[in-house]
Amino acid sequence: MTGKERIRTVLDHKEADRVAMDFGSTPVSGMHCRIVEALRRHYGLDDHPVYVHEAGQMLGYIEDDLAEALGIDTIGCFSPNNAIGVPNRDWKEYRMPWGQVVMLPARMADSFTEKNGGLYTYPEGDNTLPPSGYMPEGGYFFDSIERQNGEIDDDNLNVEDNLQEFGEVDDATLEYWKTTVDRAAESGRAVVAGFGGMALGDVARIISMAIREPRGIRSVAEWYMSTVCRPDYIKEMFDRISALAVRNLEKIHDVVGEKVDVVYVCGADFGTQTSQFLSVDTFRELYLPYYKRMNDWIHGNTTWKTFKHSCGAVYPLMDSFIDAGFDIINPVQIAAAVMDPQKLKDEFGSRITFWGGGINTQKTLPFGTPAEIREEVFRLCDIFSKDGGFVFNSIHNIQANVPVENVVALMEAIKEVRS
Amino acid sequence: MDNLYEAIFKGNAPAAKVSVQEALNASRTPQEIIDSSMIPAMEAIGAEFEAGRVFVPNLLLSARAMKVSLDILKPLMVAEQSASLGTVVIGTVKGDLHDIGKNLVASMLEGRGFKVINLGNDVSKERFVEEAAANDADLVCLSALLTTTMGYMKDVVDAVHGAGLRAKVMIGGAPVTAEFAEQIGADGYSSNANDAVALAKQLLS
Repeated sequence: MTGKERIRTVLDHKEADRVAMDFGSTPVSGMHCRIVEALRRHYGLDDHPVYVHEAGQMLGYIEDDLAEALGIDTIGCFSPNNAIGVPNRDWKEYRMPWGQVVMLPARMADSFTEKNGGLYTYPEGDNTLPPSGYMPEGGYFFDSIERQNGEIDDDNLNVEDNLQEFGEVDDATLEYWKTTVDRAAESGRAVVAGFGGMALGDVARIISMAIREPRGIRSVAEWYMSTVCRPDYIKEMFDRISALAVRNLEKIHDVVGEKVDVVYVCGADFGTQTSQFLSVDTFRELYLPYYKRMNDWIHGNTTWKTFKHSCGAVYPLMDSFIDAGFDIINPVQIAAAVMDPQKLKDEFGSRITFWGGGINTQKTLPFGTPAEIREEVFRLCDIFSKDGGFVFNSIHNIQANVPVENVVALMEAIKEVRS
Repeated sequence: MDNLYEAIFKGNAPAAKVSVQEALNASRTPQEIIDSSMIPAMEAIGAEFEAGRVFVPNLLLSARAMKVSLDILKPLMVAEQSASLGTVVIGTVKGDLHDIGKNLVASMLEGRGFKVINLGNDVSKERFVEEAAANDADLVCLSALLTTTMGYMKDVVDAVHGAGLRAKVMIGGAPVTAEFAEQIGADGYSSNANDAVALAKQLLS
C-alpha cells in the first residue's frame, strides 16, 4: 500500500497492511526543529539547517528523505504564511538561542529584537508595530503576546472586529493551493491540507501573532468568559465564519479537487487536563451547528475527511464531535482525565478515527526510558489499531527537550509494530 | 441570598459593583461584606465547578466579579483590620509564559481570603525567594504548562527551602502530578484552581 492508500483505508475503518502513521502534516502532529535535526543526523541524512515552517511553535519541516526514513504516510500542505503572517519563502539561516542554526523567512529573522535574553517577534515581521510574540530566555518557541485593546465595551462590540483575519480567498492563494496540493499528491502519501479559515474560537487564532492591529475580543480569558456571557456575539461570529468558509472551500475544491485526503478544520481546544472548557449543551448550542455546516459541505461535495484537534479531557464531547461531522479527532490526550484508550476505542472507535494517542508526551516520551516508550507504543497500537480508525502519532508535537534516544526509541518501536 | 452573592456567583461584574455600593450604603463594613457575601459566593461557585456543573469560564467570570468588588472595598480597609488566611506569592516559572491557570488560582485564593502577590510569568527562582522573603509569605505557588519548564520548579523549591524561608511551596500546571511534586520536594500539588484553595488552607493549618 502507498501512504495514501493506507491512510484512506484506516479512515474507512478498515485495517491496512500496517499501522498508518503521521508526523508533520499538521501544526499539531509535528516535531520541534531541534528534534527534526536530531533525527536527520541519527538516520544519516544530508546535514543542513532545518526549515521552520511553523515559526510560532518552531516546528521543523519534515522533508521527503526523513519522511521516507521514518515511514511517514502523510504530507502536509500548509498556509502560505507562517504564524506571524510572513510568507514561508526567502529563507535565511538564523541561529536560535539554543545554538541551532535553522532556516526562517528572512522577513521574520531580520525583524527579531532581543530583550532580557528573550526574543520578540512582530506581526508580518514589522517591528515598527508592538511585538506580538515572545520567546523567553530558555524557551523553545514563541508565545503570543495578548494585545487586547483596552477593556471590552459590551455596548459597542462589533462582530466585524473578530472577523478581521477572515476573508475571501484570492486568486494568488488559489494558485498556491493548486501548486502545493499537486506537488504533495505526487509523493504518494496522503495529502493533509490546512486551508485555514475554519477555526471556531481557537484561542491561538484569537490572540494570533499575525494580526497587525487586533480588534474585538483578543484575550484568552476574555474569550473563554465570552462563551458564557456573550453567546449571541459568538454565534453571529461563527455563523459568518462558517458561511465564508464554505464559499472559500468551494473555490479551493474547484482547483485542488480530490487530491486532498484530509482537511484540517479547527484546532480549538475544549479540554483541560482534568475537565472541559464548556458543557456538552453549550458545545452543541454554540459550536456544533457551525462545525456541521462546514463538515456537511465537505462531505456532500468532496471525498475529503475532516480533522478536529482538541487537547484535554474531551471524552464527554466525543459524541458531539461525531454529530458535528468530524471524521478524525486529534491528539487523543490519553494522559488527561477520563481518556482511557480502551474506553475511547470501544465507545467511539467505529465512528471516528483517532489520530494521535500513540505515546504520552507529557510523561513517557520526555521523561521515560526507551524500554517504557517501546512498551507504551506497543500497548496503545494494540488497542487503537484494531479495525482501522487509527493513525499513529505522538500526542501533539514532539517538544524540544525530548532526549534524542527517546525519540529514536519511539521511531524504532513504531517500526517494529509495523513490521 | 443577597444581590452581591448572586452577582459574584453568576460572574456579573457590573452588578457586583452596584451591589457592593449598596452594601456599603447599608452600613455593612467591608470585612462583613467580604465574609458574609463574597467569600460564600466564591465557595459556592467552586463547589459547582468541583461537581462538574460549571467550567473554567464561570470561575473566570466569578473571579472577575470578586476582583472588582475587592477593588472597591480594599482602599476602605486599614491593614490591621483586614483578616487574611495567609500571604501567597504566586508565579509561572522561568521560561514559561502561560498564566491563565495560574491567574485563576491567584483569583480563587484571593477570592477566598488570602493575600496574593502575583509575580506574573517567566519568574526566576531568585525573584520567588526575594518576594517571598520581602512579603513574609506563608506559601509560594508555582505554575508550569510545559514539559520543558516544569523541571525548573525543582530549582525554585530548592531555592525557597535553601534560603531558610518558612514558606511552603505548592505546584500545579497541566503536565505536573502529585508524584512529580513529591519527587522535587514540593509541599503540595493541586490539579485545578478550586482544589488549590483547599490545599492552601490545608498546608497552612
